[in-house]
Amino acid sequence: MASRKESTSVSSTAMASTGGTLDSPVKQIQIEGLVVLKIIKHYQEEGQGSEVVQGVLLGLVVDDRLEITNCFPFPQHTEDDADFDEVQYQMEMMRSLRHVNIDHLHVGWYQSTYYGSFVSRALLDSQFSYQHAIEESVVLIYDPIKTAQGSLSLKAYRLTPKLMEICKEKDFTPEGLKKANIGFEQMFEEVPIVIKNSHLINVLMWELEDKSTVADKHELLNLSSSNHLEKSLQLLMDRVDDMSQDIVKYNTYSRNLSKQQQQKHQYLQRRQQENAQRQSRGEPPLPEEDISKLFKPPQPPPRMDTLLIAGQINNYCQNVKEFTSQNLGKLFMAEALQGHN
Amino acid sequence: MSRFFARSDSESEESSSDDEITDKAPGATFKQSLLLSDDEEDTKRVVRSAKDKRFEELTNLIKTIRNAMKIRDMSKCLEEFEQLCRAFLKSKNIVDKEGIPPFYIRLLADLEDYLNQLWEDKEGKKKMNKNNAKALSTLRQKIRKYNRDFESEIAAYKENPQESADEEEEEKEPEDSGSSSDSEGEVSSKSFLKKKPEAPSEATKFLKTAKGSGDESSSSDEDDDDGDWSPSDTGSSSETSDKEEENALKRKRLVTFLKVQRAQDTEKPGVRKEERKKKPKQKEQIEEEAEEEGGWEKVNRGVPLVKEKPKMFAKGTEINTAVVVKKLNEILQARGKKGTDRAAQIELFHALAAIAAENNLGQGILVKIKFNIIASLYDYNPNLAAFMKPDMWKKCLDCIDELLDILFEHNNIFIGENIAEDSENLAVSDQPFRVRGCILTLVERMDEEFTKIMQNTDPHSQEYVDNLKDEGRVCGIVDRLLTYLENKGSTEEICRVYLRRIMHTYYKFDYKAHRRSLGLQGETKSEQDQEESKEESKEESKEESKGESEGEDSAVIMDRLCKFIYAKDRTDRIRTCAILCHIYHHALHSRWYQARDLMLMSHLQDNIQHADPPVQILYNRTMVQLGICAFRQGMIKDAHNALLDIQSSGRAKELLGQGLLMRNMQERNAEQEKIEKRRQVPFHMHINLELLECVYLVSAMLLEIPYMAAHEFDARRRMISKQFHHQLRVGERQPLLGPPESMREHVVAASKAMKMGDWRTCHSFIINEKMNSKVWDLFPEAQRVREMLVRKIQEESLRTYLFTYSSVYDSISMATLSEMFELEMPTVHSIISKMIINEELMASLDQPTQTVVMHRTEPTSLQNMALQLAEKLGNLVENNERVFDLKQGVYGGYFNRDQKGGYQQKQSYQRDQKSYQQKQSGYQRGGYRNQNQGNY
Repeated sequence: MASRKESTSVSSTAMASTGGTLDSPVKQIQIEGLVVLKIIKHYQEEGQGSEVVQGVLLGLVVDDRLEITNCFPFPQHTEDDADFDEVQYQMEMMRSLRHVNIDHLHVGWYQSTYYGSFVSRALLDSQFSYQHAIEESVVLIYDPIKTAQGSLSLKAYRLTPKLMEICKEKDFTPEGLKKANIGFEQMFEEVPIVIKNSHLINVLMWELEDKSTVADKHELLNLSSSNHLEKSLQLLMDRVDDMSQDIVKYNTYSRNLSKQQQQKHQYLQRRQQENAQRQSRGEPPLPEEDISKLFKPPQPPPRMDTLLIAGQINNYCQNVKEFTSQNLGKLFMAEALQGHN
Repeated sequence: MSRFFARSDSESEESSSDDEITDKAPGATFKQSLLLSDDEEDTKRVVRSAKDKRFEELTNLIKTIRNAMKIRDMSKCLEEFEQLCRAFLKSKNIVDKEGIPPFYIRLLADLEDYLNQLWEDKEGKKKMNKNNAKALSTLRQKIRKYNRDFESEIAAYKENPQESADEEEEEKEPEDSGSSSDSEGEVSSKSFLKKKPEAPSEATKFLKTAKGSGDESSSSDEDDDDGDWSPSDTGSSSETSDKEEENALKRKRLVTFLKVQRAQDTEKPGVRKEERKKKPKQKEQIEEEAEEEGGWEKVNRGVPLVKEKPKMFAKGTEINTAVVVKKLNEILQARGKKGTDRAAQIELFHALAAIAAENNLGQGILVKIKFNIIASLYDYNPNLAAFMKPDMWKKCLDCIDELLDILFEHNNIFIGENIAEDSENLAVSDQPFRVRGCILTLVERMDEEFTKIMQNTDPHSQEYVDNLKDEGRVCGIVDRLLTYLENKGSTEEICRVYLRRIMHTYYKFDYKAHRRSLGLQGETKSEQDQEESKEESKEESKEESKGESEGEDSAVIMDRLCKFIYAKDRTDRIRTCAILCHIYHHALHSRWYQARDLMLMSHLQDNIQHADPPVQILYNRTMVQLGICAFRQGMIKDAHNALLDIQSSGRAKELLGQGLLMRNMQERNAEQEKIEKRRQVPFHMHINLELLECVYLVSAMLLEIPYMAAHEFDARRRMISKQFHHQLRVGERQPLLGPPESMREHVVAASKAMKMGDWRTCHSFIINEKMNSKVWDLFPEAQRVREMLVRKIQEESLRTYLFTYSSVYDSISMATLSEMFELEMPTVHSIISKMIINEELMASLDQPTQTVVMHRTEPTSLQNMALQLAEKLGNLVENNERVFDLKQGVYGGYFNRDQKGGYQQKQSYQRDQKSYQQKQSGYQRGGYRNQNQGNY
């Protein structure tokens, strides 16, 4: 278990963004083993394929460490119960838990993901509202597919303060983003996770490991993984397509903008000339007109989506990279084994 | 009442007094008005016609004024009066010569009285609306002023209105019996109205006179009068047929001409009495007056020239060329005028021709008359869209034939459009005749009429076949004209007639030549397709009738004619048409390479869009024929390319001029529709649309299916044929797939079979009973086409099979393949070699074992995916660079990178990509080898 803990923390530090957590109120997350199991169980029971499950995290903040001690799932939405009140359900759930003396402080939420595709507008919006209301809240992303391949994948994310600013102002124009000087790298920060179990459980784990044979771990060495790669590539390709489209859109926009600026410039020059002529003739200058009315600037395309897509692409790339490096390692291992035999 | 009476009375005089009032001398009037048959009169007549015209104008105006008076429409009255004054002023010189016409005076007087009466009638005036009241006062003032000039005449008239009326009546009486007349005219015209308004008024008149004069001279006038006043009598007379009338005219009229004149002279006083007696009767007929007026107008509107003219020449007149020409011109003058009876005109011409022939006036005049007959036959239909009636058409053909006979028999007749009217030589036979007129134009028009007839006949009726039989005659005429013009015509004319000939030849399949060529090979089969069988019989009949080009292949004829046109023609259009027809003919007879070369050399594809629609239609037809020809030759790709334009539009029917598509009226109004209808190609020249579509779809199938199999994973694969894909999709959408019914379903089913490499099923879908009868049998060499098709299906199925299943084979023996597809080993070998060379198939041939060894270098799906991703990323980078380029323009070298650099970078990127691919395949190959080694 310790090795696993390590691996998650290693992978989390691999994210370039983790460095910038200085001013964040949460620097570390400690998760109870119970929470992890509950999340996994929730997905196994309710989520299939690309469906996503969500739930609420409960816990409390100790210094700069967020301890997540419990969680409860959200029921799956179906079209039949459209009038289902989530807030009501949440409050009731928390109240009930409080009655049985369980931590009832709301500290964030969790979500499963399909091949690592979670960087979306919906996630951004809900995490923003969480973080806006409860400053220390985090989102836990659980990747069931990777977990099924043998390594638990659980990551905690928070929005960076910069992104919070932008979301507060709701200024997603190219100008606004430029001013905020934000890239896709600086949108989310990953918080290192530590899984904490009681000593009794740890002892049990050691014992189990000791008993288990090597054959049980074969899954780790599985070589046929092109299906996974293909899926990732497919998703990556879709994102790339989206990206291209956005770029084209942006391109047209900026072309239009510059064209209009040129026109505006010409117009102003003409105006000036005319006014100079009029002055020389002793006539009053032409009245100033509202130029912004004459030249309505084109609607700037919202850039936040592009940023998100970039983040998502980055995410996929990391995934693929990770995956391929692991596989390459396996291949080398297999070759060495063959050579040895 | 009195008003009506006076009016009707005067009116009858006015209209008829055109002739006689003007010349006061009664004797002269008689002669002229009677028959106008003498030549001398004809000269006078010209003068008089001007007068007539003027007076007619006046009488017409007067009539409208009287009408307006009747309905108390003062403003109209005023308007007309002003016009009348102007008209009167115009005819001033005539009036000066002849004196003021009494009817004019009468109108003035009546009008003044009427106005005064109205003026007095205060009650009525109040009721009048503003406009009318105003007009009344103006008119009253005007007429007062105007009448001052005619005071004495008016006074005289007022003094004795009856008298003056009578006088005129009396003057007119003799004429009554002769030409068109007043009271008689009224009644007779009324009877016309009742029976057939179209009936030639002159005919009845003539008939009447003829009848009347045919009787005893003394009683003739009474008879005449009776006839005049009793409608039944006139009716019966007018009912008699034209022929009878003609005969009567010819004989009796000439005989009794003088007698009548004499009789009328003597009878004059008696007639006057009778006339007086009849007056009260006329009053009783007031109810019918409205009708009479209608009748009047009918008569008046008719061109007086023809009407008053007797048809043929008076007895004793020496019939010579000049006279006939004059007559001809008279008839011609009525041509195109409103109210001229065109049928009667044609009859007149015929009669004239007969007379000319009878009197041996020489061929010149005959030719001229013939020209006019044909022209008026063409004129018979005023509407351009309407087509000739069968009898007219027959007549027309006969006439042209006769004309050509004459022209062939007499070498000394020169005809031409540019011969001026006055330089014609019709009479002097020792010099060559010179006649104005263009036989070529007539024949061309005839050809167009023929097309029109064919267009307007239901193509599935017996009538159509009957009409089509005339094609032989038309061709015959064109041929005769061709031989004629080859001797006499200018180059330009020859080109035109050649084109006509070509137009009648190019679309016909030359079965004789075909059979001959087959005969040489020792084969005797008579493959006849349904559509062209008709043509064939026609062709044969034509050739038989022609005789001249019996031995000549149509190909030879086409070649000769077209080459002449290429060399000599100066108008672009004729040459274009000739080229297109030539290509079409080549294509029809499977001379693919000649057809293709001609098409390419002519460069028509570049500028055909500037041509007029009929030429474009011809071009489309030619392209289609070319495509079908290519298909027959097994050039699937060429066939597909040639047909692509026509088929992909989905408007093949319209583009080939074989029918209109249903479209809403917004896109096309009635006028346009008419124009488009006129462009349609007659049915016997149609190209079978189903055949066309089938050829297109099958060639698309043969191209597309292997292509699809080869590029299964290619993200950017293009469709070769959209239409074919559409058909496939339609086929896929069927919820329940039964056995194919239509041609399209067959092709779709065949495509599906081919996709699996199952050539036998594909073959059975493409070539079977149904498809044979629908499509393949329509080809002249159906069997050969079918064989070609089977072969193609086998080959393409083999290719498809290799593309689709190469990944599951390590190696495959060619013997197996040749067995599977029933192809000979060398063929299989060549197909596979070609595929390997084109890098379509990653394999190599193992010579000793005759097997194909697969290299397995087709990328796996993951690799494909990676390639696609690379491509997409390339696009992304490209787009991104564009953003940079733009920025650079704004911020000036922010990235310190000029346009060129960026471009080069892009290029190098693409190169990288390529080399990446190569590397990858190299790697793969290496891997394969390694594996092999490892296995061994």
